[in-house]
Amino acid sequence: MTAALQMGRGRPTEARMRPSRRLHPGASVAQASISFRPAALAAIPEARHVHLDVRADIRRGGEPFARIMSAVKALADDQALELRVPFEPIPLYGVLGRRGLAHWAESRAADDWSAWFYRDAGAPGASASAGAAAGAAAAPAAPRTVTLDVRGLEPPLPMVRVLERLDVLGAGEQLEVIHSRRPLFLYPQLDERGFVHETDEPEPGVVRIVVRRGAA
Amino acid sequence: MNPAAHAPSPLLPLTYLLTAAAAFLLAALAVPWLAADLAGHYYHPRILALTHTVTLGWITLTIMGASYQLIPVVLERPVWSERLARWQYAAFVAGAIGVVGHFVIAEWVGFVWSAALLSLAVAAHVLNAALSVRGLRRWTFTARLVALALVGLSLTALLGGALGLDHVRDVLPGGFFANLHAHVHLALLGWVLPMVIGVAARVYALFLLAPEPGGRGGAVQLWGLALGVPATVLGIALESRLVIAGAVAVAAAVLAHLIWIVGMVRGRRRPALDWGLRFVLAGAAFVLPAAVLGLALAAGVASGPRWALAYGVVVFGGWASLTIAGMMLKIVPFLVWYRAYAPLVGRAAVPTLTQLGWPAGERAALALLFAGIAGLAAAVGAGDPGWIRAAGLLLAAGALVFAVALARVVHHLVPCPMRTVPAAGRAAGR
Repeated sequence: MTAALQMGRGRPTEARMRPSRRLHPGASVAQASISFRPAALAAIPEARHVHLDVRADIRRGGEPFARIMSAVKALADDQALELRVPFEPIPLYGVLGRRGLAHWAESRAADDWSAWFYRDAGAPGASASAGAAAGAAAAPAAPRTVTLDVRGLEPPLPMVRVLERLDVLGAGEQLEVIHSRRPLFLYPQLDERGFVHETDEPEPGVVRIVVRRGAA
Repeated sequence: MNPAAHAPSPLLPLTYLLTAAAAFLLAALAVPWLAADLAGHYYHPRILALTHTVTLGWITLTIMGASYQLIPVVLERPVWSERLARWQYAAFVAGAIGVVGHFVIAEWVGFVWSAALLSLAVAAHVLNAALSVRGLRRWTFTARLVALALVGLSLTALLGGALGLDHVRDVLPGGFFANLHAHVHLALLGWVLPMVIGVAARVYALFLLAPEPGGRGGAVQLWGLALGVPATVLGIALESRLVIAGAVAVAAAVLAHLIWIVGMVRGRRRPALDWGLRFVLAGAAFVLPAAVLGLALAAGVASGPRWALAYGVVVFGGWASLTIAGMMLKIVPFLVWYRAYAPLVGRAAVPTLTQLGWPAGERAALALLFAGIAGLAAAVGAGDPGWIRAAGLLLAAGALVFAVALARVVHHLVPCPMRTVPAAGRAAGR
């Protein structure tokens, strides 16, 4: 997770639902909050904000992904999660966006970011999901492929990232995992959860695993 | 072939690794008790028993167990037969206990039978590993070094058994000590060194989040060992000058290995090193003095049993043991996590690998082991029983803390309805 977050600094791999806001050096969070905070987030009272600070974890070399996902799972519809991280957590935007969470981020200092995740019924991602579901009901279509690149992560993080992503895999979706090796420890977990998978090696050193839900 | 049909069982390598850790603890606890013997000549029944507890019980059993986890991860091949690996474990442990026990009582007929059982276990391992990598599409640097190591292991077991048999019947030509030294170097340079160097190229990069090393360094290591080890071992056995050329080739391989490690550490994306990695790097720090001592012994600059024993402590206690302990601190938490928590990922909060560990204990173990091994090498070099006992106590304390650190990880395997995931792993922020 840490590595993925760091690799994702400044080069988002998935479409953002909301633009992030970087403050100019010296600008205060309060100023930014007053000026730019999205209406849906501003409407959530401070008492309904859940705070999670993972800066110390990341600086120690720890992996806070499980903590973040646990906090997200426990998040009520009327709550917002404020995540404190030492850099902008760009890869999380796509992951949590697919869970229907909009995001907004601001920089307090060069190594201190706050990112809020909250539900916004009017967000493009939410309507897109609804539209996709409606389309899927009307006519069977080719599965939408979601790509997850887990190269450069230390075990067992590739497995954690894949299983976390599969947990929220939509009915019309398949997951394409880009790995640096054949994950022999992952396959039993996929089988046990009823997923089917195919592995190929499109080029030396790159392994692709396509995972989709098995027939019920 | 459906790879899932041959999914690796975490309990198989864990059985090997935990038995090996017990052997390490036993050996470390024996050092203060054997202080007087360690101040004398190394060819002493109890010193031979101690040495083989380390080389067979600790080092070889760890490498064999780790192979059954790393073959799937590093070489991306399923283990050919886990059932054979379990039989191998039983035969190896029984054989090693027999070898060590018969060394203690200096009884050679029983020793030969124990060595035969051990050789059977080694043959099973070589067969299992060879059939696991059969059909490998790409013979990578790691795969070649592992193959080289398996040849070295086979020859080490054969020569060791022949040395034992030589006590009963005169079967080996040449001087006894020349053959004994050849056996030691075959084990060290032909089995342990290529295995560590080969696995390090892939696994250190994986753990450090660094690019895999490449370039001419790989050829220097491969050919340095492929040519240098036979030259060194034959040179020792035949008491010829060939040993110097072999030692230089092996030293070049070791130097190239060190350069790769430095490159990986410098090129890492991992912000902080965990204690497992620090163990590994501390072990690598012993490589340079080991190479210098080895070259000095080969060239005749240093000679005698004390220098030889100090060299053995630096190599087997410093480089090999700290490297292996570090790898164990990486592998055991993964296997335990995989067994206990992988089925829960995405369904419940699970701890991270970091949360399974005990950083304070691992730090203390590293400090004690490093000081104990460095002190022991100096003390056996000086031949002072008092200093040997003091260094041995540090070593024993370090091994004890290391064992407790492993036990804390392993206890996650024990089903306990009262135990939840560590607090930091729960949903936070409320």
